[in-house]
Amino acid sequence: MATYIQIDPTQKLDPFKSVKKLPLEEYFTSGHRTCQGCESALVMKMMAKAAGPRSIILGSTGCMYVANTTYYSTSWVVPWMHTQLGSSGSAALGTSAALKVLMRKGKIKNEPINVIAFCGDGGGADMGVGAISATLTHAEYNSLILMYDNESYANTDIQLSGSTPWGANTTFSSPGKVKRIMHRRWKKNMAGMMAAGHPECKYVATICMSYGLHGMNSIRKALAIGGPTFIHSLDPCPKGWDYDPYLSHEMGELAVNSGVWPLYEVENGLLRLTGRTEQIAAGKIRRVPVRDYLLKQGRFAHFTNDDIDYFQSKIDDMWEKWLIPGVIPFRRDVEADTPPSS
Amino acid sequence: MSTKGTRIPDWLKVPFAGITPGPSQDKGQNLFPTGNWRSIRPVYRDKLPPCNNACGTNEKIQGYLDLVKRGKYLDAYALIKEDMPFPSVTGRVCYHPCEQACNRGKYDEAISIRAVERFLGDLGQSLKHDVVEAGPSNGKKVAVVGSGPAGHSAAYQLARIGYKVTILEKSSKAGGLNRGGIPDWVLPQHILDREIERLIELGIAIKTNCEVGKDVSWDDLKRDYDACVLAIGLTEPNGVRAEGEDKEGVLYGLPFLRDIGMGTSKVKLGPRVAVIGGGNTAIDCAREALRQGAIEVTMITVEANTDEMPCSPEDLHDMLEEGVDLWHGRALTAVLGAGKVETLQLHPARFSGAINASPITINRNVPAERFAVDNVIIAVGQRASIDWLPQEFKNERGTIKIDRFGRLGDTNFFAAGDIAQFGSGQPLMVVNAVGDGKRVAFNLDKALRGEPLQPRTVAVDVIMDLNRMNMTYFPHFPRAHQSMLSPVTRRKTQVEVIQGFSEKQASEEAGRCFSCGTCNACDNCYLVCPEPCIARPERSNGLYKILVDYCKGCRVCIEECPTGCLEGVPELDFDTGVVRMDTAFAISPGLHGRQAEELLNLASRPAKDI
Repeated sequence: MATYIQIDPTQKLDPFKSVKKLPLEEYFTSGHRTCQGCESALVMKMMAKAAGPRSIILGSTGCMYVANTTYYSTSWVVPWMHTQLGSSGSAALGTSAALKVLMRKGKIKNEPINVIAFCGDGGGADMGVGAISATLTHAEYNSLILMYDNESYANTDIQLSGSTPWGANTTFSSPGKVKRIMHRRWKKNMAGMMAAGHPECKYVATICMSYGLHGMNSIRKALAIGGPTFIHSLDPCPKGWDYDPYLSHEMGELAVNSGVWPLYEVENGLLRLTGRTEQIAAGKIRRVPVRDYLLKQGRFAHFTNDDIDYFQSKIDDMWEKWLIPGVIPFRRDVEADTPPSS
Repeated sequence: MSTKGTRIPDWLKVPFAGITPGPSQDKGQNLFPTGNWRSIRPVYRDKLPPCNNACGTNEKIQGYLDLVKRGKYLDAYALIKEDMPFPSVTGRVCYHPCEQACNRGKYDEAISIRAVERFLGDLGQSLKHDVVEAGPSNGKKVAVVGSGPAGHSAAYQLARIGYKVTILEKSSKAGGLNRGGIPDWVLPQHILDREIERLIELGIAIKTNCEVGKDVSWDDLKRDYDACVLAIGLTEPNGVRAEGEDKEGVLYGLPFLRDIGMGTSKVKLGPRVAVIGGGNTAIDCAREALRQGAIEVTMITVEANTDEMPCSPEDLHDMLEEGVDLWHGRALTAVLGAGKVETLQLHPARFSGAINASPITINRNVPAERFAVDNVIIAVGQRASIDWLPQEFKNERGTIKIDRFGRLGDTNFFAAGDIAQFGSGQPLMVVNAVGDGKRVAFNLDKALRGEPLQPRTVAVDVIMDLNRMNMTYFPHFPRAHQSMLSPVTRRKTQVEVIQGFSEKQASEEAGRCFSCGTCNACDNCYLVCPEPCIARPERSNGLYKILVDYCKGCRVCIEECPTGCLEGVPELDFDTGVVRMDTAFAISPGLHGRQAEELLNLASRPAKDI
């Protein structure tokens, strides 16, 4: 196989040692019109910083397209292109292939260029899964697909997406007097799915930009390792999750520390829990009760104690009963699942 | 957004395909000055850390800890020397009010500030040339009477301003209380000698064996010098008004220590020694008595328990460790014996009222206790010796009458140190004397230049509440402890008891500092800003700039500022940098424009540099 597939060289991107060592240039600049306290904008800023100037960024429709590129202006300093809603994967693959051809024909200088496609949870976990999955099977094209997940279709007014957690209040699942819990599905496990099902994909990671250095280093690793890679980022959204914008950073920390959002990476098939999650798994720090995380958000304001306990029990299951805790939801035994009556 | 009255630039008018060119990339950025969404603006406002506030001389403690953390030891030493002439001394003897005030004490354990200060002081001692230089000479002469902490500090600050300073010292060696009041095993003499050499290097003349009132008179001082600082201290020991206090074998605390410190002691202690008093001097006397050959030392205090004793708890602990007995609630009423101390008569007593003005209630109705001793050391405070001073400048407390600036009437005489602070409520400690000397030196300078004098500054906005900081950024971390000689070894030698920090310990300990309320360039705001509108102009420093045209006021940076330096101020309080809703266009370029030149050059730079 190795003789057929020739992977282009990638940029050498060493991990950032500390905040002080970050480059001063910004490739995603101010003046964009994301909401106050938008963590997804922070992801874009850090992603561009981690990737550096020799990058092409492709964005499928979503918050980060709508808010950042309006009326002839853009916040992107690096080349940027809009793609269709479900096609971030195909755009990444196509761009990477096109660059390869242009370089082969000598039309552009032969040098490593980062190709990054970002998509929201709607564009990635709902509509674009097929395209992303296809891209991750093509080992010869270097690209990174970054899914920023704010757990709803946030730019069109917070509709339910495949990533919305159980019970959350969205415009499609407003709680009422008759039924309290209107959303009874659990969040789609995108990173686990991509890691488990794509042997050609060398790197899959979950990040949360509340841990910025960790996130940036994951992105640098994904870009440097070669071939198609996938990163899933959890972004607290002040509007969609309904909290005061100044809590944005803290909300991400709580998601990780409560165990709701495990940080891990799968590098060449090797699974490693990273950051705070590693410390939680090793028992060095205790998980924060999920209650602290849920009750800070207006979208869970209708939860009763039973609901919170049920949510907590599912998170406990994730750490205690899953075959690979926090990552793959297979179990050894069948157990009754009894959600609270709504 | 209203655009009323706004002139729309040509390059932003609605483009017609093929006719109007669209805005260029960097100008297009100016289209959305998102700053007009903001109702609260983040502002960097440094607050006063509690340690700086508590320090008697307001050392910039947070500042030098931060420098030590970064390995800039010499800068840290230079910073400490602004307020403190002898960090190597206070690093050993200070009662560290800073550590009591330390916010970290509420979180896990206070930072060992004194040990870091000592580390820096010892570093300064090893330098060939000091970092401080005398100021440009202004041709005026100042006499400083006394070379103790306050005199040392005043002389040092005056020399730095540019005065020709002469120190008049009545003993044969300079150092005052630092030499005569602090035992060798706390502050080795060679350390103090080196600090006094530093004074001489600054061009300060020290006249020893020159006592004011005997060798020099008030009029001499007035005639020969432009101004004078009286830092004469409290030199005469108080008695306890007990019968037979004049018997042989009765010693007084400060002269006892002073004679040992100056090397002129002829005292030979017997095996059983009692120490009367519960202050720091009494503790030093008790511990010194062990080293001078006493076998059983008993401390007798009026206070009912250890909490009431006006002393440093650490020193008390060390004293008890060395095997000194402690008796509470008794007062010495008579010294019995035939010509020499043989027995002490003790009555139950109670201490009531403020420190240094002690009304003591002695209960003489119960039978007295008898306690056999060979020597008794009385250490119950000191008073001033100011017979030579003109009557108009004496007050009813037996010290010098001064105004709130430390000045004697309208003369060019100032008083500093214990003599000025006695009875003012300030603790009579080395560091307070140093601070007083510093303030008086600055006021003296102002007086000679005809400027208004400055009273003791009142602290504004000391940050004491941990909720104003973000504690998630500070992991719990235990305090580094200084190693000490064991009680058995140390009680018979003059070797220094407490050992200094190594470089690693010092920098680790400094790394625990919260930098309460003060920007320490941690870059967190810069990292968490989603705009990004917090710009860092240079890599090395912490001078961040907030691009107010673009800051949306999400307040994440304020919430995430670990030290509490950033605070939110309502936008209505400002009249500059405000982006009004009817201003559709930013007045200054965004990051695109700011970075334009660097970005143009990016293409030519090799990839590995970027």
